[in-house]
Amino acid sequence: MATSAPPMDVAHAGSPEHDLSFIRKYIFSTDHKIIGIQFLLLSLMGLFMGGLMAMMIRWQLGFPEGLMPLGNLLPETMVSGGVLLPEFYNSLVTMHGTFMVFFAIMPLLVGVFGNYLIPLKIGAPDMAFPRLNMWSYWIAFIGMGIMLAGFFVEGGHSAAGWTQYAPLSSNPEFTGVVTGQQLWLLSIAILGLSSILGATNYITTVVNLRAPGMTWFRLPLSVWSLFITAILVLLAIPILSGAAIMLLFDQTIGTSFFDASNGGQPILWQHLFWYFGHPEVYILILPAMGMVSDVIANGSRKPVFGYHSMIYAIISIAFLGWIVWGHHMFQSGMNPTLGMTFMISTMFIAVPSAIKVFNWMGTMWRGNLTFHVPMLNAVAFVAMFVIGGLSGVFMASTPVDIYIHDTYFIVAHIHYVLFGGSLFALFAAITFWYPKMFGRMMNEFWGRVHFALTFVFYNMTFWPMHNLGLGGHMRRIYDPSQYEFLQPLAGTNRFISISAFMLMTVQMIFALNFVISWFKGKKAPNNPWDDNGLEWTVSSPPPHGNFAETPTVYRGAYEFSSPLVEEDFLPQDRKLEGDGG
Amino acid sequence: MAGDKHPNYFMIFVGLAVLTGIELFIAGFSWSKTLIIVTLLALAIWKAIMVALYFMHLRYEGNRLRIFVLAPLPLTVIIVIAVLTEYVW
Amino acid sequence: MDHAETAVMQAPSRREIGAGVYSEKLGMWVFLGSEVLFFTVLIGSYIILRFGSPESFADPGKILNIPVTAVNTFLLICSSMTMVKAFACVQDGNQKGLKLFLVATVLIGATFVSVQVFEYLQLAHEGFLPSGYVDGSHFAELAAAGDLPAKVNIYGSTFFTMTGFHGFHVTMGVVCMVYVTIKAFQGKYTATDHRGVEVIGLYWHFVDLVWILLFTIVYLM
Repeated sequence: MATSAPPMDVAHAGSPEHDLSFIRKYIFSTDHKIIGIQFLLLSLMGLFMGGLMAMMIRWQLGFPEGLMPLGNLLPETMVSGGVLLPEFYNSLVTMHGTFMVFFAIMPLLVGVFGNYLIPLKIGAPDMAFPRLNMWSYWIAFIGMGIMLAGFFVEGGHSAAGWTQYAPLSSNPEFTGVVTGQQLWLLSIAILGLSSILGATNYITTVVNLRAPGMTWFRLPLSVWSLFITAILVLLAIPILSGAAIMLLFDQTIGTSFFDASNGGQPILWQHLFWYFGHPEVYILILPAMGMVSDVIANGSRKPVFGYHSMIYAIISIAFLGWIVWGHHMFQSGMNPTLGMTFMISTMFIAVPSAIKVFNWMGTMWRGNLTFHVPMLNAVAFVAMFVIGGLSGVFMASTPVDIYIHDTYFIVAHIHYVLFGGSLFALFAAITFWYPKMFGRMMNEFWGRVHFALTFVFYNMTFWPMHNLGLGGHMRRIYDPSQYEFLQPLAGTNRFISISAFMLMTVQMIFALNFVISWFKGKKAPNNPWDDNGLEWTVSSPPPHGNFAETPTVYRGAYEFSSPLVEEDFLPQDRKLEGDGG
Repeated sequence: MAGDKHPNYFMIFVGLAVLTGIELFIAGFSWSKTLIIVTLLALAIWKAIMVALYFMHLRYEGNRLRIFVLAPLPLTVIIVIAVLTEYVW
Repeated sequence: MDHAETAVMQAPSRREIGAGVYSEKLGMWVFLGSEVLFFTVLIGSYIILRFGSPESFADPGKILNIPVTAVNTFLLICSSMTMVKAFACVQDGNQKGLKLFLVATVLIGATFVSVQVFEYLQLAHEGFLPSGYVDGSHFAELAAAGDLPAKVNIYGSTFFTMTGFHGFHVTMGVVCMVYVTIKAFQGKYTATDHRGVEVIGLYWHFVDLVWILLFTIVYLM
């Protein structure tokens, strides 16, 4: 049989066919690096919009009597006479969750870093299917457009919560929203297609396009986590697509999937949604964990402690994540026996997460710690994730959940893992890989200021929510003062809101740092962090095709402070005496 | 990849057609509902496996690919069984 | 295994051995994994709703037309055979056979979709829609007389959604198959590189496989 014919994937850095027009190079590009940056711009916009919505929610909760600043900029259907209307409030809580999950965190972790890092870190010139990759982005773009359109239609946007429980979501009578709801579902179905195509690409790329010597157990943890996440995306998103289509049909062509009066089952929606939803939350955290591992090893100048167990932990979390979904439904009226099984499986899933936390600590222990900005954010991730995880243990216990379900205790948990967790990890990752992406360093001083202020205001915003929740403050409520037992909590709500406004303001520092550094930042060398990954062996930014010659890998990604060399890092592709081919 | 020794695709097709015919036949029997369901399901799964093994060439692929293929199947079973228990207190 | 297939169709040789299959094929299998979950939701919901409310579903053949669909099933299985024969032909260097069997697959696939559309129109005419019975229709009268279940809303919902999305997938398959057929007529597939044929073949067999299960579960049970 044929042996070494030219491989299909030839690096073509600087070859003449690639004098493409501006449009083919930067708009309809098939280069994973450009697509990654396109996702970055899309998702930072989504993050900003989600944040704005949060500000409006916090305004209502903190200052219900006050007139909303700039409220006159919004139409009468949203803010009337300076008062945020309840219908709009319901849309806000829905869309805040929707934007943050689908148009911020997911595209940031999976769309940006999956795209940018995978080919570079495995030694490939691009993804396995570059054109499909381009389609993935533009389909997501269309999905976002459709989602935005929902704000402008009559009746306003979906108001059934990002979880869209039937029959609130399926029967327009209950929310008064018709078109907006349909646009929500359509947008999610289209976004789902983008994600599935992307996942197919990532999985095939990691399996087939690893450079010679890049065995599975030499892959950086960022790549492992993105690979496992891609498998979760592949299998979980179609579930959401199917369920969303069923819901859309209930609203448009008169089906009765979730309509109890015609034989349908509202609880079926919850089962389907959370069968997707629980793997989804692991999609929202695993890439963050992987990238944090890379950053912490770098900042500790030490190999990741327990590299193999980190991988097994990621795989276990992904496996177990499929059999815990019912812990979102303890109060739904589902079969109590199911409730018990879900409690047990949910308790189990804390174990691999804990293993990872101990391994991060073990990595830092006795390391030559360098607290650069990515490291600060990565360490904060670990601490905040622990808090979020611990509150999870309370919720896993069914009897406790009876009391705290649908309260602000849950909101606190969500935000500790998603903001304290994923978002801090993203601040770390963006700062860490920004030099590679844009060829410039972000400003370190302002990075530290941003970190410190964010960390303080973030905890001031979200920690008190634990107290609110234990006090009985429910989620998604427009006017807590209507309940006497909640009136004493008004001061806490105000405190949270003020902290939240400060938190949002401080993010402008990050935004300015991001934009200004793009033009004025210090030029970045190939390897500003003295890291071992393959991406640091090429220029910042890398050329089209990434590597002039396919690299050969001789070791894992975390050989910091190795006795074999004088420097405290040892790149994966550097050949030493005694290294095999 | 199947070499010059392709399986006899026409015979596979005949087998599938025969199984389908048997299913149609059994569907009309007056057995208990459970027995009919179990038998028909078994026949359908048999046909599906034949399509996967012969038409989709899984018979001739390596184990790694087969594991990829089988991996999503437990997820199919889990959700259906879990939600069915809602009807069985 | 003595086909002269280049490294392009074998596992990538200069890189780490992955799944041992070339990327396009691996990619299609991976994508089919997502399709398994998608159909699980639709078919699983049918199983669950039927188990929970059996009185809302009609017995086999009472509403749905089994003979016509049985013929359609034979047709689809036949098209799966013509598809794999096309693949076998291109492997053997038989360009004529490739073209012949691809065209046959397209035609039979298109016929399947047409028959299904016809079936839908028939059902609508007799009074069975995703929203259940149509007032005053033939089926509605039978229901009033007690020969059919009183309400079939979730039967309609599940039936049309499952078979509709399957039909949509078949249609997408036919469109892609036309593209592959055109390329075959342009001589783009050789004995040494026929990835496109194998990949569309996998998709087509999958769609057939889903129908095999659907037909049994929906029409015969």
